[in-house]
Amino acid sequence: MNEKAGERALLPSGFEDLLPPHAQREYQAIGTLMSAFGRFGYERVKPPLAEFEESLMSTGPGAALSQETFRVMDPVSHRMMGLRSDITAQIARIAVSRLPGASRPLRLTYANDVIRTRASQQRTLRQFTQVGCEMIGTDDADSDVEIVIVALNGLASLALGSVSIDFAVPRLLEAVLESYGMDPAQRRDLCRRLQSRDEQVLETVEDLDLRAILQGLLHASGASDRALPKLEALDLPGAAASLAARLRDVVTGIEKAAQALGLGGVSLTIDPLESRGFEYHDGVAFTFFSKDVRGELGRGGRYRVPGGQGADTSAAGFTFYMDTLRQAMKDETLTQRIYVPKAEGWSCVKMLQDAGWVVIRGADERPSTQDFKAIYKNGKIQEI
Amino acid sequence: MRMRNMDPLILALPKGRILNELAPILKACGIEPEADFTDECSRKLRFSTNDPGLDIIRVRSFDAATFVAYGGAHLGVAGSDVLEEFSYSELYAPVDLKIGHCRLSVAMPVQEAETENTTRHSHIRIATKYPNLTARHFANAGIQAECIKLNGAMEIAPALGLCRRIVDLVSTGSTLKANGLAETETILEVSSKLIVNRTALKTRAEAMEAWIERFRQATRA
Repeated sequence: MNEKAGERALLPSGFEDLLPPHAQREYQAIGTLMSAFGRFGYERVKPPLAEFEESLMSTGPGAALSQETFRVMDPVSHRMMGLRSDITAQIARIAVSRLPGASRPLRLTYANDVIRTRASQQRTLRQFTQVGCEMIGTDDADSDVEIVIVALNGLASLALGSVSIDFAVPRLLEAVLESYGMDPAQRRDLCRRLQSRDEQVLETVEDLDLRAILQGLLHASGASDRALPKLEALDLPGAAASLAARLRDVVTGIEKAAQALGLGGVSLTIDPLESRGFEYHDGVAFTFFSKDVRGELGRGGRYRVPGGQGADTSAAGFTFYMDTLRQAMKDETLTQRIYVPKAEGWSCVKMLQDAGWVVIRGADERPSTQDFKAIYKNGKIQEI
Repeated sequence: MRMRNMDPLILALPKGRILNELAPILKACGIEPEADFTDECSRKLRFSTNDPGLDIIRVRSFDAATFVAYGGAHLGVAGSDVLEEFSYSELYAPVDLKIGHCRLSVAMPVQEAETENTTRHSHIRIATKYPNLTARHFANAGIQAECIKLNGAMEIAPALGLCRRIVDLVSTGSTLKANGLAETETILEVSSKLIVNRTALKTRAEAMEAWIERFRQATRA
């Protein structure tokens, strides 16, 4: 490549061209997911790429990503616009501003690209596709279970193997520390060190009851069948106890539902101290992993939607990141490509396509490349 | 596909000084690396152990954290200086191994330390191996730190007019003294930690937790 051509090929960091067969695979997966979500009554919406800064970033989910949002000046209105960095915020806005009269729970789904100012360590891309569902207007364990089951069902429709879900309760630690009257500054440092699983920090906690609870929380992580009993054995204060009880109801509910729906082979883990990336979640939250891929397949949880006119409503949702999901998908068998010399005319094309072939026409007698399963010659299919 | 899950876990260990201090801990955890591991001349980078479920890689101390953060290795050992410098979101540091103790400090020429009023600066040039940590520390004091990244021999930089301060690891302080520098401020107390990859902890919870527990027991003893 000469210097000029190289310059033209260079993309800004975090942006990529998706080529065959990956682009095809991604679109196919989105289609499969959409129809899987549709069967649970989730209806598709398509929010715009840009919104005014205030509307995009005022609500809970949007405000959390303010730093990651690209801003541009709208030359028409001279107001600042934000390019969406997450779809959840937009769905939340739509629910309270456009569909306040629609019956609750509102079940919506989407598949759109987002763009972020910064890549993260996990996701080096700055533009990627989010596919997800939101269920707005209920707040009970059963809704939490449904949203996870819809997600799992979607993953199953893509034949993704070895999926695991890690459950978190992002507000649990805060609730514990708050009820023990710890001041915010002290709390921040303690939270940070606890979240990196630094057990030594417990030595700085003077209240022995609190220390026992925190130690218990540190150890109540891992496979849900072992970790949940440990969490239940802890003497948690009021608000934290009800958060923990909700987690138990959700996890046992999911186990039951997954079995009934034949969604086996999913391993469930819990991590009550996890809060990374759950800035706006206030109930049970979760992350999807696959053992075959390094990053997260997706994440979600329960959060508050600031009300339009009325009070806040509660919502639960999840989003899949198509860039990671794509990597977890198995390679399909090579498509059935057949080479048809132009001399054979057009009449055979439909016949071959109807028979399932991918038809590639060419000027020569024989193809110059090897990636064909067969050649059509003199009215006959010759396998190579 | 299933095979991936049966692959051995990889433990990333830093080369050099820490490795000697680490030897008794590895032994207490029941980890016996193959003979080549202790051979300084060996060109190998990846070593098997007595446990078929665990392999060791030997890398630079800054790189151990990077390997674990990006999921190349599942477990590792890294100093808290490295962890704070990179503040990797994908790392947990569950066990303090209580080895490799030292501190990360600010130092400046002795005469300046006696006469200077630090609060008057809005900008200081600093030589360091830890530009992020340094910039963050000085930003908290309202000072813009212009960091010059050096990989060693920082102590000579102030005398040659490269900078007015250095931020470096200090264990006894004799190198500073020999170069006419005074330690004025401690930024961080450093020790080595067991680090684990966040995703690995969740997708291979059982094996990972067993190792964490072994290291925990080994350091308690």
